[in-house]
Amino acid sequence: MKDNTTILTFITWGLLLSAVSVLLNDMREFDFNQFKEFQNWAKTANKNDPWFTSKNAIQWSYYAINAGLFFWRGYLIYGFSYFLSILKEIENGNYFSDKNISYFKKIGNIFVWYTISVLVLRFLLAAIGESTFNFFNELKAEFTFLIPVGLAFFILAEIFKRGKETEEENDLTI
Amino acid sequence: MPIIVNLDIMLTKRNMKSKELAEIIGITTANMSILKSGKAKAVRFSTLEAICKALDCQPADILEYVED
Repeated sequence: MKDNTTILTFITWGLLLSAVSVLLNDMREFDFNQFKEFQNWAKTANKNDPWFTSKNAIQWSYYAINAGLFFWRGYLIYGFSYFLSILKEIENGNYFSDKNISYFKKIGNIFVWYTISVLVLRFLLAAIGESTFNFFNELKAEFTFLIPVGLAFFILAEIFKRGKETEEENDLTI
Repeated sequence: MPIIVNLDIMLTKRNMKSKELAEIIGITTANMSILKSGKAKAVRFSTLEAICKALDCQPADILEYVED
């Protein structure tokens, strides 16, 4: 069991590090200087012009939403890091612990909120880019599978809760 | 819990210490303490059988039902 946990820990670390490196690389390629350009424009812009229709504001919104997508990707990676905590608990022999139950719930929450937020941000991106946003097409995207996965973690949390009760009962059976 | 464990009474009657009984029936002193304090959620038939054999008594001598 311990060997399996060690292998799983290594795999999780590998996945986490590669996800972080991909995110950092994407952020490096993303031109954050656009925000500075927007700030400069904001200083010199004509206050009487409608804000939301100006080209710079739309561009800035586009970049802000992309930055939001980075944030949510980071949040998802943070969610993955809870796997390490769960594996640590398992390694210590605490299978049905309160900590594991809360980690499963947290992972479930992160997965569900990530998917909802990314859907909303993609909708906003489509609105800004004046392209069509097809909700059902978006649902077909790979990342939406995280919703059932998140729900599966909620179910796991409930199973572990019941497991904890059973374990306690078993410990008090003489 | 309406089930009372009268193990202490039986141990006094048989002039036996709980540690001795724990050794005879093969449970830890910690579990014996759980059993005596009434914190146990369940008792296995095998444990009950071992206790009855060691103390030469009936299950009813150890367990008692008292309405809350």
